[in-house]
Amino acid sequence: MEIFSQLIFNSIIAGAVYALIALGFNLIYGATKFLNLAHGVMTAIGGYTVFYFTKTLDWNIYLAVIIGILFAGLIGFSLDKFVYFPLRKRKASNMVLLVASFGAFTAIQAIIAILFNSRFQTLSQNTSAQKSFEIFGGVITQTQLIILASAALIMTGLVLLLHKTRFGKAIKAISDDEEVAKIVGINTNKIIGYVFFIGSAIAGFAGILVGFDTGIEPTMGLDLLFKGVIASIVGGIGNLYGGVLGAFLLGFVENFGIWKISGDWKDAIAFALLIVFLIFRPRGIMNK
Amino acid sequence: MEYLIHLGILFTIYAILGISLNLVIGYTGLLSLTHAAFYGIGAYTTAILLTQTGIGFFLSVILGIIFVGIVSFLIGIVLSRFSDDYYALGSLGLNMIIFSIFLNWQSLTKGPLGILGISRPELFGINFSSNFMFLILTLLFLILTYLVARFIVNSSFGRVLKTIREDEKAIQVFGYKTFYFKLAIFVISAAMAAVAGSLFASYITFIDPSSFALMESIFIVAIIILGGLADLRGSILGALFLILLPEVLRFVGFPSEIAAQMRQVVYGVILILLMLYRPQGLIGEYKL
Repeated sequence: MEIFSQLIFNSIIAGAVYALIALGFNLIYGATKFLNLAHGVMTAIGGYTVFYFTKTLDWNIYLAVIIGILFAGLIGFSLDKFVYFPLRKRKASNMVLLVASFGAFTAIQAIIAILFNSRFQTLSQNTSAQKSFEIFGGVITQTQLIILASAALIMTGLVLLLHKTRFGKAIKAISDDEEVAKIVGINTNKIIGYVFFIGSAIAGFAGILVGFDTGIEPTMGLDLLFKGVIASIVGGIGNLYGGVLGAFLLGFVENFGIWKISGDWKDAIAFALLIVFLIFRPRGIMNK
Repeated sequence: MEYLIHLGILFTIYAILGISLNLVIGYTGLLSLTHAAFYGIGAYTTAILLTQTGIGFFLSVILGIIFVGIVSFLIGIVLSRFSDDYYALGSLGLNMIIFSIFLNWQSLTKGPLGILGISRPELFGINFSSNFMFLILTLLFLILTYLVARFIVNSSFGRVLKTIREDEKAIQVFGYKTFYFKLAIFVISAAMAAVAGSLFASYITFIDPSSFALMESIFIVAIIILGGLADLRGSILGALFLILLPEVLRFVGFPSEIAAQMRQVVYGVILILLMLYRPQGLIGEYKL
């Protein structure tokens, strides 16, 4: 019973982190229709910015988190401005954008490893003193509760932003048809730039949360990217709700999959889920 | 001199990998990211056979080709249903799954510890244990691969592949079952990668899973995009360039830990710049 409730907690927490990555990824995919692989490295940018400001400069932790989120957003925004926008203008194919985004991923990840080092580090001040709660025999830490709460907050905020504001409607128009959106007078490139900022900022925040929960390392982005991508595909690519649904499904499959076998197989299980969906339902759960 | 020979051997191995992957990406237009997995299966087949049975190197190469042929056939059946970014994503997932198997099937692959003491080949009394002799052997395999690949791309089969790349729907209208063509070239390309893997295992005499991770697939993709898609000499040029590049970086005087990361930065930046300014590579004919 204890194992069972612990597995449920682990699944939900993993699902919440994946959902944050998938949200940004899907938002960007919806607007641009290409798989932005550089999305994963935003988590490392967020995590390492907080690491730098709190551990090296000894700044206030909340301020550092805000800077980390903004900085990740800014990098995402600049990538769009200097790499993806020129490519889109030239009507480059999705594959070109995919390869370019992976180039950006590789370069940024390596730059982080040069600036800091490749060691695994944690963001939290003193891990042993972390508060934890016991519910139905499973243990959940304070950080993990913060993860759940902020994930819920961001999802709600994003839904409100998309449905209640002009900006949200513009994003939806671009997702439906960029050309038409342009004709009716939407400055599509500006909006797409903001979409990159928001999506990357959310990914940066996810990276920071992971950093407080377990820790950061320069290569953390690849794993989180894949989980976000798998969640998006499983749920329905470009569909925000689908991404969240896929994220929790992935969290559960992954954690219950290793109930009886070694935890080393977690990644293989996640990718097996991807392949199964690619074969039998490539559009995902939510997309028609 | 010994060091030059070492670089030469690495260059020939990567040139084989580049040529074989170019058949799939450059000529058929399918962005496959599974290549490192087949390279790895070839290497592990040779490593396991040479260390645990009395089988000689050349027999192990043949068995490696057969085994990789079967695996790639099964994988190809799954992948050939996809196109464009879903192909890239599916193949990436399969690379990760096979990597997990290398890492976690400890009784067979010894997991992260790797396999030690793989012997160098011997044939008709000629011993290839000196690096110079081994370079001649790998060069022979490179020439053989090049000739086979050139034969394929110049044949009518090769022309069908190029048509699939340009317009898959159009050639389906003419009654070609593109599925079988995609599958066939995928298996051929994988079998060539298996040969490169066997050579690598026997040359280095030690293998572990890290040599066959996703980054390796990306590296091979970088080789052929840099050299030129759908140009076999381009792949050789690309391999030469990217093998020599780290040496230049070392010559500039970076310490070794940073040099390894600098290499990643350079690969990433090269990919971005190529996509922005020359998506067909140095001498290629096809733009992604």
